[in-house]
Amino acid sequence: MSPDTTETSRRSFLQRAGGATVATASVASLAGCGGDAGDGSDGSDGSDGSDGSDGSDGSDGDDGSDGTTTTLRYGRGAHSSTLDPQNTTSGEVAKVTNQAYEGLIAFQPGEASLTESLATDWSLDGDSVTLTLREGVSFHDGSEFTADDFIATYRRFVDDDYEYNFEDASVYGPFTLGNWIDSIEAPSDYELSITLTQTYAPFLRNLAMFAAVVISQDAIEGDTNLGEEMVGTGPFQLETLDDANNRIQLTAFDDYWGEAPNVDEVLFLTRGQNSTRAQALVEEELDIIDGLDPDSMQIIEGSGTAENRTATGINIGYMAFNLSRIEAFRDRRVRRAISYAIDTQAIVENIYSGIATQADQPIPPALFGHNEDVSPYEHDPEQAQSLLEEAGYGDGFSFSLTTFQNPRGYNPAPLPTAQTIRSNLSEVGIDVSIDDRQFSDYLTYTSQGNHDATLAGWDTDNADPDNFCYVLLHPQTDVPDGQDWVSWDTEGFNTSNNAAWANSEYMGVVEEAQQTTNQEARAELYREAAQIAHDEAPWVFIDYADEVRGVSNGVSNYTVAAIGGPYLEAVEVE
Amino acid sequence: MVSKRFVLKRLLMLFPVLFGVATVVFAILHLSPGDPAVVIAGERASQEFVNQVRADLGLDDPLWQQYVRFLGEVATFDFGQSYQVNRGVAVSQILTDRLPITIELALLGQFAGLLFGLPLGILSAVKQDTWTDHLSRVGALSGISIPIYWSGPLLILLFAQFLGVLPTSGRIGSAYFVEPVTGLILVDTLLAGNLAAFQSAVIHLLLPVVVLGIYQMALLSRMMRSSMVEVIRQDYMRTARAKGQGSKITVMKHGLRNAFIPVITVIGIQFGSLLGGAVLTETVFEINGIGTLLVDAINRSDYPVVQGTVLVFAVLYTLVNLGVDLTYSVLDPRIEQ
Repeated sequence: MSPDTTETSRRSFLQRAGGATVATASVASLAGCGGDAGDGSDGSDGSDGSDGSDGSDGSDGDDGSDGTTTTLRYGRGAHSSTLDPQNTTSGEVAKVTNQAYEGLIAFQPGEASLTESLATDWSLDGDSVTLTLREGVSFHDGSEFTADDFIATYRRFVDDDYEYNFEDASVYGPFTLGNWIDSIEAPSDYELSITLTQTYAPFLRNLAMFAAVVISQDAIEGDTNLGEEMVGTGPFQLETLDDANNRIQLTAFDDYWGEAPNVDEVLFLTRGQNSTRAQALVEEELDIIDGLDPDSMQIIEGSGTAENRTATGINIGYMAFNLSRIEAFRDRRVRRAISYAIDTQAIVENIYSGIATQADQPIPPALFGHNEDVSPYEHDPEQAQSLLEEAGYGDGFSFSLTTFQNPRGYNPAPLPTAQTIRSNLSEVGIDVSIDDRQFSDYLTYTSQGNHDATLAGWDTDNADPDNFCYVLLHPQTDVPDGQDWVSWDTEGFNTSNNAAWANSEYMGVVEEAQQTTNQEARAELYREAAQIAHDEAPWVFIDYADEVRGVSNGVSNYTVAAIGGPYLEAVEVE
Repeated sequence: MVSKRFVLKRLLMLFPVLFGVATVVFAILHLSPGDPAVVIAGERASQEFVNQVRADLGLDDPLWQQYVRFLGEVATFDFGQSYQVNRGVAVSQILTDRLPITIELALLGQFAGLLFGLPLGILSAVKQDTWTDHLSRVGALSGISIPIYWSGPLLILLFAQFLGVLPTSGRIGSAYFVEPVTGLILVDTLLAGNLAAFQSAVIHLLLPVVVLGIYQMALLSRMMRSSMVEVIRQDYMRTARAKGQGSKITVMKHGLRNAFIPVITVIGIQFGSLLGGAVLTETVFEINGIGTLLVDAINRSDYPVVQGTVLVFAVLYTLVNLGVDLTYSVLDPRIEQ
């Protein structure tokens, strides 16, 4: 039940101070540095820790509660730009669509493992996937869920020959399904048989991604505007999309096949500024919030009305060397020297204020395949200097470090990070100039390979090591013999590999892992790949950031999830 | 009486203004860094996918072709669909939804400015060089000098954080959902007959309107005062008083009309800056008008929305100034010549 907050609740000095940051942050966002809260294309339930524009909802004391409806108020940094899961790569959109839509397979709340959803059983054998579907499931429009709905969903996403193909489909169309599926058949209403283009072990996890949720065939082939309506099978259905006031109202779906939600209504409310969002939580105007940074966490801590909850994130923040552009970076001794020279422990502990852990390999600790035997490069300027001298760069050299300006989940403070790197590297004679850019400009610039080195990061799509190892460090194109990098303009080059690194041993292991369906064998291969990546150091591994949520004391049964969700159907509100 | 020729002439001037604005906006957007295709496609996209998006949007056409196409869109006020802010939705639709929000805010700000600014200016002029005058001048100077992005957060701190009597953001309490009819929240809540929602909207709009109004009030009172002081010294005012008319009647009957001429010009020009001020105010108070829309669209390289929004600003500004000129010529017919 949403408490009526007419009375101004307890305010500590700290809370007031938190509110005071509204001013500075507002101006920052006006200066064109406004964050892109949650636009970090992940599919996790939450936060990328960035700032949006501004504002808060102080103590309005008029939440209109009528005492009969239980309402869960979820506060976030940005409003949904669409309600169509096939038209976005934004995690901000996924937070809402995940309430109304379901995939064939789901992530276990708070874990990276898979669980049943619209499919009750499945198998992956070579390039063949078979799924048994759940019976007795209704869409919000009253139609019954069958295999044809998934086929229509798939075809809308990727099939140009389909009359109802969606021309604005996001990159997740090919990335998640299209590149891997050769054909789909429905032997019966409740069976699906999918043939893949190759054996592709992560495929089942792709089916659990927010972009692969099932849309009603009737809605697809009817005149439903899926950008503004949601016709799924999820526990909540859309009641009001209020773009004018940046909010979305969902109500419990009476015919939901699973356990009925514990609240009657969910409100997604936008409070752009982190600190004021936290303030609204403390004032009991919101029940759960995401997008927290250390300052806003401090507002919540000790408030007496809410608490910070964290979970290990499935992400990585790093600095990539562009081997295609800077000759010095092609020497692994130079890369390792820089890894030793940068004090990542200080960055994580002092700049990220402990809401992250030091990284040492491309695979985050929450995933299988993470190599426990690998440890972070220690801060050792002497070792760095010695390696540089050995490589012939004892007198140093210079490069430009490109970075985005606004915080992202995997990098809560990009500019201070870059400044620390510059300072650390100056100690070993390397001159770094910082090239900071607004995110859209940063994306454009780095995707064209113009960076010497860049701060970067990744939130998982499907909680599979392949999503890090293959997507971020495999060139996905031909590599000249005896060379461990590729030129940026090589045809078909995977520009997500912003180091242009192309180590044949690593590539072989990752390719083999992609085609190995035995879980333990795969994990072993990824451990091997992680060791190679650590030793070869195409990146300076910086951090794995935690997922942080602010949760009101009146909320119970809420699980912080790094992938999927937010799982609001189980939440209870006092 | 205003002649049709005058109105027509001024309306025709709208076209070169819009053409100029459109050209400048187009040039700035296309010269600024950041490729919308990359932004739309996202971090996961392959180069092939980005190229496809670029081709779909016509962003790989020569710049002159894009410019000609854009001018065609401007002529028909069809700016295409939003890339990012409201994906796939027509820009005209977004503007139709958001414009009333800004207009409501600007009108309320203007109203607040007039309500307090004019009487204060007149009072200040009539009571020239008294403590009332000095006080009002100091107040006005402060009002003009404090920028919105400073006064807004200060008022938020005072009324929302410390006193806790007013909300800091939005236009209405989170649990009130009212069918948008006019897009003006005060009107819509009344049309819905929901007084609690209306009250909530009033409380929410109070701070932003005050913030916008302070500046208006300050400027108008200063203008009104100096204009009035000048008029009071005119011979015809002395004559009126010599004829035995009371001081109040003289001021209200003969002084006001003439003193209003420069003030109305300022009101018109200021209404334009009020729209600009709305960009700041909306951002500070998280109100979803075309101000926040513009900031959001610029940050996300949403070309169609930026272009549409800036042109709407230009049209509004021009029309308001046309209105001012027309009023001006009514008050002083010599203007037409």
